[in-house]
Amino acid sequence: MTPIFLLIRPRLQGLANTIKKASRKERRFRIILILSLGIVFWTVLFAIFYRVLSYFKRVEGFGDVLALKLLSMVLVTFFALLIFSGVITLAAKLYLSRDLPLVHSLPVLPGQVFLARFFESFFDSSWMVALYSLPIFLSYGIIYQAGFSFYLACGAALLLLSLAAVALSAVLMVTAAVILPAQRIRSMAFFLGALILVLLVVTLRLIRPEQLVDPQVFLSLAQYLQSMETPGNVFLPTTWAHDLIRGALFTGRDALLNLGLLVSFSGSLLFCAYRLADRLYFLGYSQAQNAPVSLAIGSRRRRQGLERYFSGVTQALVLKEIRTFRRDQTQWPQLLLIFALVLIYVYNFSVLPLGSIPWRATYLKNFVSFLNIGLAGFVLSALAARFVYPAVSMEGAAFWLIRTAPLEIKTFLKVKFLFYCLPFMILGEALIILTNLILEVTPFVMILSTLTIALLVPGIVSLALGLGAAYPDFRAENPAQATTSMGGLIFMVMSAVFIVLVVVLEAGPAYQVFLADIAGRQLSAVNWLGIVVSFGVVIAISLLATALPLKYGARRLTARLGEG
Amino acid sequence: MIELVCLTKNYNSFSAVRGLDLQVFSGEIFGFIGPNGAGKTTTIKMIAGLLNPSSGRVLISGRDMALEPEEAKQQIGYIPDRPFLYEKLTGSEFLLFCAQLRRLPQALALERVEAWLKRLSLTDWGDELIESYSHGMKQRLTIAAAFLHDPPVIVVDEPMVGLDPAGIRMVKDLLRQKTRAGGAVFMSTHSLEIAEELCDRIGVIHQGGIIALGSALQLRQKAKLEEGHLEEIFLSLTGHDVP
Repeated sequence: MTPIFLLIRPRLQGLANTIKKASRKERRFRIILILSLGIVFWTVLFAIFYRVLSYFKRVEGFGDVLALKLLSMVLVTFFALLIFSGVITLAAKLYLSRDLPLVHSLPVLPGQVFLARFFESFFDSSWMVALYSLPIFLSYGIIYQAGFSFYLACGAALLLLSLAAVALSAVLMVTAAVILPAQRIRSMAFFLGALILVLLVVTLRLIRPEQLVDPQVFLSLAQYLQSMETPGNVFLPTTWAHDLIRGALFTGRDALLNLGLLVSFSGSLLFCAYRLADRLYFLGYSQAQNAPVSLAIGSRRRRQGLERYFSGVTQALVLKEIRTFRRDQTQWPQLLLIFALVLIYVYNFSVLPLGSIPWRATYLKNFVSFLNIGLAGFVLSALAARFVYPAVSMEGAAFWLIRTAPLEIKTFLKVKFLFYCLPFMILGEALIILTNLILEVTPFVMILSTLTIALLVPGIVSLALGLGAAYPDFRAENPAQATTSMGGLIFMVMSAVFIVLVVVLEAGPAYQVFLADIAGRQLSAVNWLGIVVSFGVVIAISLLATALPLKYGARRLTARLGEG
Repeated sequence: MIELVCLTKNYNSFSAVRGLDLQVFSGEIFGFIGPNGAGKTTTIKMIAGLLNPSSGRVLISGRDMALEPEEAKQQIGYIPDRPFLYEKLTGSEFLLFCAQLRRLPQALALERVEAWLKRLSLTDWGDELIESYSHGMKQRLTIAAAFLHDPPVIVVDEPMVGLDPAGIRMVKDLLRQKTRAGGAVFMSTHSLEIAEELCDRIGVIHQGGIIALGSALQLRQKAKLEEGHLEEIFLSLTGHDVP
């Protein structure tokens, strides 16, 4: 057995043992949940692409050009995602995993360790992209009635593109680990990854892909066609992958040449990464073991302004949360991502073509603003899944300090709740108020949406925190990954149900009040009854969503910890 | 000061600790020794309030850990075998955090933090992040955190792991001072020399139950060994061949 396979084997065995050890009921529930969510997402993606491509196909003259442009954008997105994911995964696997001291003490060459970790990272970074590229390629295949060679070309393009992206990430990581100061690898990986992603998202958004289907914005059809047919950069692997798939889909021309380019490029990149790692990987790894750079914090007598507002146990917990979050440099790039997300979110509203139908503009703007409550809720849910859900697991092995302290778990959770609720409230209200100002909504819709988000935020934060406490993982190397665990999935489902329920309950009465407001007429008694009942139920649900998950989480966590 | 009443911990069909009855008195260092998997850490965790017993009671200064956990925990300073701490806090911030959790008034907490940093030779490192500390320094910080609120009971799991000789001497002195001041120490250790040197009484736990209890001399008599170190007594009591 080769050393490389031997080095990968513990991972495979660990996975098999985890599956074997889970009870049948637990396994079945987890499989059903993950499969259902996967199928829903997969089906939605397929439906969107199928519909868009069907529309393109019907466009006489340049429908195929549009379809290929879309394919090109998909491939560029995949490639950037793969580099992002590769950088993060490789940083963890090559420099930060807990088993590395053991692995490096074994009689194996650094190059072999590198290759074993490379293939693990290759799989970890690319499986999801591969899975979700299937409905996209399938919709292309069905719409264009492609043969087997098309699917073969798609598979080859994706495989080689993934290999090239992860090899490129490896070259970046191995080189950076030698140059950058020790213990900054994780921060650097997150920063690099986040930057790539932000650049990609911002670039794609600013291209305004919706204009692909709006020739009106171009001065002439000729200019439009010219912009569509501009070929990609011939030195980019995504262009070769695009041309390979295009060849298999239409003409067959140049398919082999592009396949050859992709094979030789990814092969040589992997070879370069291996040679580089053979020389530099251990050097970088060894450097990463050095004592961390001293970060003198300043006088220990320096007081935080916050101390004026909290005292005792609450102050201790809040200060601990703020300090650990502020000093964890892996969190910073994620703040960059949030900032980019908010910018794009607000920008999206500024380019909505609502004014193109003047007589319905007021109605449409307020309608969009109302839907925006749900949309902002989903954005906050996604952020809560990333930041709030793992908050209890993030305590990690140091949680014994809390458990041996004269402190109830519910007090500990309440402080965490307060800590996360405030920034989420500010973010939620900022999203709502900024977009409402852009949309120029009526005062009623402004008040309704700000109040609703004020009710949604505590519920979302409490659900994330409560379920994170009910399903903690104190041993995870990266607790942030807990989001994809069973508890994380339950949170996302429950949070979505909560948001939809609130929006649906408010929709009818909000519509009545809005119409009355616009028409300047009085509401009837029946209208008032509906409003009071609906909003009463919304308030009750929101209060329950805030109180119950925290209580449930505290109870589950206390019981779970006590059992050992 | 510490009273264990018929303390039992079961994991499914496996009994890690079986009906343990034990008292540790004021002014006493009690050593808990036993082979790997005998139930030492499980017992320590139940005393510290980290695990619920399947049955039985833990009383700390008369307070039941199950009924009054906050009051019982306030009486304990716990030192785990591995010093997992909040790596992104500085040493002084960490100690202040522990002091506040134990409800010490702010002025007293700050005073104690300075004093304990000095006492454990960590003053120069007080403003550095814990992630830059060595294992031994983290262990010292954990010890400082346990003593900070001056608890009457110290519960310690393998106290000397990772400490240099000066650190070991310091911990021994701290434990002795604590008992001289009327406190009680419950200590689990693999080091039989340390148990013999420090402990007033030693309990030998094997397969979840105490098989011998007393001073080193009493244990020697029980093992029917007129001479010999605790190591031989231990091996004899736990059913191993004495070389």
